[in-house]
Parts: sequence; structure tokens; C-alpha cells
Amino acid sequence: MPKILLVEDNEMNRDMLSRRLQRKGYAVVTAHDGEQGHLLACSEMPDLILMDISLPLMNGWEVTRLLKTNESTRHIPIIALTAHALVTDRDKAFEAGCDDYDTKPVEFGRLNEKIDNLLTVKKL
Amino acid sequence: MILQNLSIKRKLTLITMLTSSAALVLSSFSFLIYDLISFRHLLIEDLMTQAEIIGYNSAGAMEFKDVPAATATLSALTAKEGVITAGLYSRDSKMFAHFARNNSVIPSLLPAHSQDKGYRFEGGNLQVFHDVTLNGEHLGTLFLQSDMRQWSVRAKRYAGILCIFVLISGLFALFVSSKLQRLISGPILHLEDTMRMVSANRNYEVRATKSYGDEIGRLIDGFNTMLSEIQQRDTALRGANEQLKTRTGELEKEILHRKQTQEELLKAKHTAEEASRAKSTFLANMSHELRTPLNAIIGYSEMLEEETRESGKSDDLKDLRKIQSAGKHLLALINDVLDLSKIEAGKMGLHVESFEVAPLIDEMIATLQPAAAKNSNKIQVHVANEVGAMRADVTKVRQILFNLLSNACKFTDHGIIAVDVDQNKVEGHNWVRFRVSDTGIGITAKQKENLFHEFSQADASIARKYGGTGLGLAITYRFVQLMKGRISVESEPGKGATFTVHLPAQVVAEAPESARSAGTSDAMAPLAESKTHKDTILVIDDDASVRDLMSRFLSKLGFHAVAAASGEEGIRLARQVRPLVITLDVVMPECDGWTVLKKLKSDSTLAEIPVIMVTIVDNEAMGIDLGASNYLIKPVDRDRLAVLIEKHRTGRSATITEAGTAPFIASGRKPKRESKSKSSGEIDHAEDLVGRRQ
Repeated sequence: MPKILLVEDNEMNRDMLSRRLQRKGYAVVTAHDGEQGHLLACSEMPDLILMDISLPLMNGWEVTRLLKTNESTRHIPIIALTAHALVTDRDKAFEAGCDDYDTKPVEFGRLNEKIDNLLTVKKL
Repeated sequence: MILQNLSIKRKLTLITMLTSSAALVLSSFSFLIYDLISFRHLLIEDLMTQAEIIGYNSAGAMEFKDVPAATATLSALTAKEGVITAGLYSRDSKMFAHFARNNSVIPSLLPAHSQDKGYRFEGGNLQVFHDVTLNGEHLGTLFLQSDMRQWSVRAKRYAGILCIFVLISGLFALFVSSKLQRLISGPILHLEDTMRMVSANRNYEVRATKSYGDEIGRLIDGFNTMLSEIQQRDTALRGANEQLKTRTGELEKEILHRKQTQEELLKAKHTAEEASRAKSTFLANMSHELRTPLNAIIGYSEMLEEETRESGKSDDLKDLRKIQSAGKHLLALINDVLDLSKIEAGKMGLHVESFEVAPLIDEMIATLQPAAAKNSNKIQVHVANEVGAMRADVTKVRQILFNLLSNACKFTDHGIIAVDVDQNKVEGHNWVRFRVSDTGIGITAKQKENLFHEFSQADASIARKYGGTGLGLAITYRFVQLMKGRISVESEPGKGATFTVHLPAQVVAEAPESARSAGTSDAMAPLAESKTHKDTILVIDDDASVRDLMSRFLSKLGFHAVAAASGEEGIRLARQVRPLVITLDVVMPECDGWTVLKKLKSDSTLAEIPVIMVTIVDNEAMGIDLGASNYLIKPVDRDRLAVLIEKHRTGRSATITEAGTAPFIASGRKPKRESKSKSSGEIDHAEDLVGRRQ
């Protein structure tokens, strides 16, 4: 059962997304701010991270950068989730080292595909 | 010299006086000479007559050797003032009798004389010889000598009179000339005075008075005319000056006013920019704030729908789907508004990449199949064979097609929706044409006018019946514009509509306004896209115009041009961007093209990059020896350059495909979908061209 770390500060979205992911058969760990996300990523070693960008304490870009510079966590694929559909956000996401990018509100089917893709690539 | 500098008055007086005096002296002198000559003749004649008389009277005395009688006869000469000596000489020239006044010396022998005239001048004295005869017999010679006293006295007197006369008439001439010279000097002096006054006071209103109608009068006339002209000009000049002063004042005021306006404008601009930033931030925040709860609404309703479906409560399913669809509609609205405001803020950039058209269309149809099925519409697709890959912002092309197709589905019932894609060439540029036609309600001519404007659905009632924001076509229109394409619509109400979109096969990415203003002048393409260096061409040339022209030309071909003004910069940029191809000039200051070429080829990381020499130096052998791939001589044949670069791109992409990375199909000027043999034929052609010298 692949383990997904969901870093999301909005309680409702966190709850909804984690329940839907669980329904799809993933084990879900949740974090409600950047710092907690970073800590959990290091301790739980998830197979994939869904990273909201606007987070309290430490924003998603910073957490991603930290994880991607850390030897032990750099292999974990990260999908950035942002409500800002600006072109610069997309560039920023790749710049920070995200493996993929999606805008909120999440279209679950599409997100699921992206998760599948990244996990398959990882397995290979 | 001194004479020349005398005043005209003096000169005139002097001239008149000298002239008249000279004439007077000359005439008097000639008169004097004439008088003296005639007087001398008279004296000579008189003395000769005297000699005749005395000779006659003394003939008897001579005959009879009577000396006292002869002496008495001679003494009669005492009364004759001028005679100083007289002598009678016998035939043997011996003194016979004589007369001498005041002890004058008389020669004892007869002086020799010329017999022809009977007189001669000797030592200032007149001597007369006369033969004394009696009855034809020569007795002797009478000799008379006169000292011409009468003549010299007369000459002296005449000279004195002449001097006095000349003096008097000279004075008279002086008087008359000094009076008369005023006729000429007066007006000239007046003119001079006037001139001095004008030049001293700069008073051009003064006029010289004309006295007579002679040359000086005309001179004065001319002078006055000149003065009035100067005065006129002076007045005009002064007027112009005044005007200038007034105008300068006005201009200064205007400049001040403008400066103020400028400052105000600047302030307003800052305020507007501030407001725009605030608006952008607000939009970003708003979009976040709006999407977050929507995320929950859509997500939970989807989840509930799944759960409900599984538990078999079909009654609730409908309501849940309504919540879902309302949520999605709201999301679409928010997205549209956000898109539009991004376009308006100039923040909508293009992410140009190569993609195959046919799979995109297939994908779109698959996505829209449910929407078409909802109104029982059929979708027919036709993609022409020649349509291969294109370079454009795929997301925006997708959205354009999505908007057009979903509109077609929405406004058509039990009809056919046709999608046609083909490619054509206009003025040397390839265009991809997308046609979306339906058999739906159509659009009236009046509705067409506002079709591509924001918030304007063809009819307010349509919004109620069909839903939608009215932003779809506006966004479509803006996207097409952004990619430098065209959109048009043909329709007949009730029979359907056809939307046609033309997009360039090679869309050129322009940086969004915000990025553009921040960019430097010489960096033609933003270097941010380091990942797409397979489309980057490095132009090394010290001539700014060449860099500019090459960059534009390359952009037209769909490449990113990066330009370097010197060899060093070129090598640095080559390391930084790893371009597909480098074009290199030879004649450059400091580090010439040969050196750059050597350095590039000796660097193992850069040696692979093909270098096309573009230069005026005709030395292909040298270039090829040093490792250049091709050699072009300026002025460059652009078509040939395009072919060469295209060749390198094809070569590079083939390697990439072989290496198993993401498949990349060359999107050249004539992309071929199927025939590999054809594309290799094009390469042959390219090489053919390379082989040919310019």
C-alpha cells in the first residue's frame, strides 16, 4: 500500500482529499503546516508527497527545496498544489524541484493519474 | 600723403586755387616771354637804324679822315641810353673814332663778326656792325654795342607786375573757391554728420537733407533709402524679438505646465501601478480564497456521489450531481475571470512547445464526447495528412478548441459538429487552420458584432437557457491574438455556425509585459528556459544591427536567439545556454572569430555544438580546418541559413529520439508526418545548397 503525505493547511480540503485518497487505496499521512510536513516527510518516508504551496510557518517552495537537497528525501516525488494559476507558479514549482504540478481545486481523476504516473516511474 | 588726408573742403579749395593760379602763371609767363622777345627785336631794329644813321652821317668824316667830326657824330649817341660803346673802324680794321660811356672798354681793332645779319649777342651785350659807304665805296665799319639795359629793366618790371598779379588773383581764387566749394563739400559734410549721428545714436529715424539733384543728391537719396530699409528691418526685428520674448515666456510656462503634468502623470502612474499590483495580489488571493471552499464542495460532493452510488441510494445521486455541476460551473467562471484579468494585466505568457496536432484533437474529442452526447450530437473529425506538429502554447490551443467545441455542443441539438484541421501557406508562413462547425441555432449578424467581447452572450435569454459566463469566446479571441493568429465566424441563424481559427505553425513566444520591461536590451530571449536549449541559437557578432536582424529572423523561424557582442561573451553564453547552433562572425575587436572557434572546439563540453561562420572574410578553408560546420559569406542568404539550422535541428532531434528520451519531432518549415524518405531528401537538398558557394 503506497504511502502518501498530504501537506495542506485547510482542514476541510485535508479531510476530503485524505479520505478520497484512502478510498483509492493509499495510506495517507497528513500535515497542517510546512514544518510538520518537513518533519513527517523525514520520519515517515512516504512514497509521494502532495504539497500545498500556501502554508503557514514554512511555505511549500521552501519545504520542497529542503527535501530535494536532503540526500535521504530527494527521491520522494512531490506534486505541488497551488490555487494560483499563474504562469510563474508553474515555473516556480519546477524551479523548486517539484516533479509535477496541479492547480486547486483538484480534479481528482487528473490528480490520481499524476500520482499513478509518478509512483509507476518510481517503481521502475 | 598729407594732401590725401586733408578734408574735402581744403582739397576742393586747394584744387581750385592751384588750377587757376597755374593757368594764370602759365599764361602770364608766355605773355611775358612774347613781350620780351618782341621788345628785343624792337631794340635790335632800333640799334640798327641808329647804326645806319650814324654810318651815313660819319661817311664824309671818314672820307676826309676827319676824326673830330666823326667823334662828334658818335657822341650824339650819348642820348641813346642803352649804347655803351661805339667805334668807327677803317678798312684795315683800325680804330678811327670812338665813343664810350662811363669808361667802357672799346676794342682797338674791329672784332670779327658774321656779315649775314649785321648783329650778334656777345657777353649779354648786343653788338651791331654796319658798313660805312660813300657812293658805293666801302670806307670802314661802324661798331655799336648796347648793354640792353632797357630790356632787362622791362623784364624786371614785368616780372614784378606778374608776381603781384598772380598773388592778387590767387587770393581772389581762394576767396571764390572757398565760397564755391561749399556747393560740393556742404552736402557731403552733411551726409557725414548724419552718418555719424546714426552710428553713434543708433537712431535710424534721422534723414539726410538733399540739396541738389546731382550725384551727391542721388547718394543722399540712396543713403536715405538704405536708412529707411534699416529702420524697417530694425522695427521688424524688434517686433520679432518681442514676439520671441513673449513666445519664450509662453513656452517656459508651457514647459512648467508640462513638467507639472508629467509629475502628476508619474504620480498617477505610480498610483496606477500600485493599484495594479494590489489588484493582482487581490486576484491571486481571491482566486485562492474562492477555490479553497470550492475544492471542498466539489471534492466532498464527488466523494459522496461515489459512496452513494456504491450504497445504491439513487434518489440522492441526482442532487449530489447538481451540487457538483454547480460547483464546477462556479469554478469555470472563476477560472475565466482570472484568465481574462491575467490577459488584461499583460501577465499571460506563452509556453511555446512542439506538439502533434492530431493526438491533441483526439484527446479533445474524447473529453467532449459526454457533452456532445448530452444533446445527442455527433462529432466528425477530419485532420488533413499534411498537418503534423506545430509550435504553440498547447494549453491555450486546447482551451481555444475546448471553448469552441463546448459552445458547439451547447448550442446544437441532435446535430453534427465537425472539426476540420488543415495547413496552408500564406506569404511564406505556414498556418494551421482549425474549423469547428455545427448545425445549431447559429448567430445573427447583429449578435456577431459583440461576439468576441467580454460578458456578451448573443442574447441574455441564452445565459438562462444554456448557462455559461459569456467569457469563453472573449478568452478564445484573446488567446488567438496572443499567438498572433486570427479567428472568424460564419453563420446563418437557425442553420449553424462555423468558427475558423488560423494559428501560425511556428508561434513566437513573446515575454509577458512585466518580464519584457525588466529584460535587458541585448538579451533577445529570456534565458530562463534553459531546458529548451535545443531551440536556442547563439549569435556572436560585434555589429548590433546584425545581431538584431539575425535574432529577429531566427525568432521568425521559431528559435530563441541569444546574442553576444564579443568573443568572450559568446564563449561564456555558449557554456551557459548550450545552444543548438552557434553563428560566428570573424572580424571582431579583441577576440576574433578564429580564436573563438578554436576555443569552442577545444572545449570538450562545447565541441559538439555546430558552428556556422557568418562573415565577410572569404576563407572557407580556414573555417572548415578549424572545425566550423558551415561557412556563409555576408550578406547572408537567409534561406540557406534556415536550411542549415534546420538540418542541425533535425540531426540533433534524431539523436534525442534514438537515445530514448521524450520523442521530439522536428517542426521545421515543412514538417512531414509520415515519410522519412522525404525528410532525408530535404537534408540532401540542404547539403546541396551548402555545397554551393554564394
